[in-house]
Amino acid sequence: MASQEILSKKPLHVLEKIKENLEKLNEKMEVMIELQKHGKKDITPPLTDTPLDVMTLLSMPDHLRKTAMTVCRLGRATADEIAQQTHRARAVESAYLNQLVIMGYLKKERKGRKAYFYVERESQG
Amino acid sequence: MGKIMAVHSYKGGTGKTLLSINLAAALAKTGKKVCLFDLDFRAPSLATLLKVKNPNCWLNDYLNGSCEIEKALVDISERIGNSGKLCVALANPNTEAIREMSSKDRKWEMRALGRLLALRNLISNTGNFDYLVFDTSPGLQYSSINAIVAADLVVVATTFDRSDMEGTQRMLRELYDLFEKKTYLVLNKVLENPTRHKSDLQATVKDFYQVPLLGVVPCYCDILKAEGSTIFAQDKPDHPFTRMLNALAAEIEKNIA
Ligand SMILES: Nc1ncnc2c1ncn2[C@@H]1O[C@H](COP(=O)(O)OP(=O)(O)OP(=O)(O)O)[C@@H](O)[C@H]1O
Ligand SMILES: [Mg+2]
Repeated sequence: MASQEILSKKPLHVLEKIKENLEKLNEKMEVMIELQKHGKKDITPPLTDTPLDVMTLLSMPDHLRKTAMTVCRLGRATADEIAQQTHRARAVESAYLNQLVIMGYLKKERKGRKAYFYVERESQG
Repeated sequence: MGKIMAVHSYKGGTGKTLLSINLAAALAKTGKKVCLFDLDFRAPSLATLLKVKNPNCWLNDYLNGSCEIEKALVDISERIGNSGKLCVALANPNTEAIREMSSKDRKWEMRALGRLLALRNLISNTGNFDYLVFDTSPGLQYSSINAIVAADLVVVATTFDRSDMEGTQRMLRELYDLFEKKTYLVLNKVLENPTRHKSDLQATVKDFYQVPLLGVVPCYCDILKAEGSTIFAQDKPDHPFTRMLNALAAEIEKNIA
């Protein structure tokens, strides 16, 4: 009985891992699709760690500004929460968010199955 | 849930400060709980105009992260006869403080934006206010753009000065629109002209700016005589300027309800 339990647990665990990896892969794909849609010109690598301030927001392409502004307002949010505010699809927001992470404007933190995005305002007192 | 409005303009001297004070007072006099913020750190004026000395904390300190916002609020409800609640948070007018504020870097401005966004707690369900009114510096100042981003709506003070009109038109498209802010125009310091119809004026302005015109405020010598240190809503309740501002306040309330 006990050995059976271990046996049945193991494949489940493996499946979970596969699912997790697929999700990560999916996210990367979404980013790549978005990159192609808007062309590479949108993705300037972070210039000597430019902060996500209002001047940066102003100079961003419209689609990214909307996402970035929403993160600023919420402080910390998942792609789902952002999508609720912007009325765009979760997958789209997920792609934009990851794009903003690549650009160096947002930070991403995984907590269990959820990914949180936030603006790093280090040394905040 | 309350609202945050930023009073802004392209050029200086269009009447932002005068409108901010009296709009806040007009709203408070209808029984609302209002807090007025001096976010013009380059040329602070509310401390002088409202004759408030030595607050526990300046807004400068709040934005620097060295005090809680509650400590920066000064209750001046008695100035409006305690009909509503009117508080004010002040920019430090000392030269040293102005100099310090003008030399902040982008990281600081980003954190300041975070703190301005956090003021939303004051108008949340557990907060104490219905309206926050931000008086700002003219033009594309960092602090002004921060204020605009943190606000729900922008009241734009404009005059018939040509350069102000063109600049305002550009800001509407290249600043407020980009941040998806609701914008209302107030045409201030308008000279009485008996041959010009009010509806003509409204149509012209709407056509030029493509945004709603909240109101037209004539130029009153009484305002200049008062040297800015009068809260018209309280001191001169029957003055046409007071009535104009009551109408503006009512219009804003109607629009955002
Ligand atoms: N409708 C008006 N009639 C007469 N005087 C006015 C009117 N509106 C404003 N003023 C006067 O114009 C001057 C500038 O007004 P105010 O200080 O409110 O402008 P501001 O936009 O805040 O200026 P700044 O850009 O320097 O902050 C003040 O002396 C004020 O009393
Ligand atoms: Mg002013």
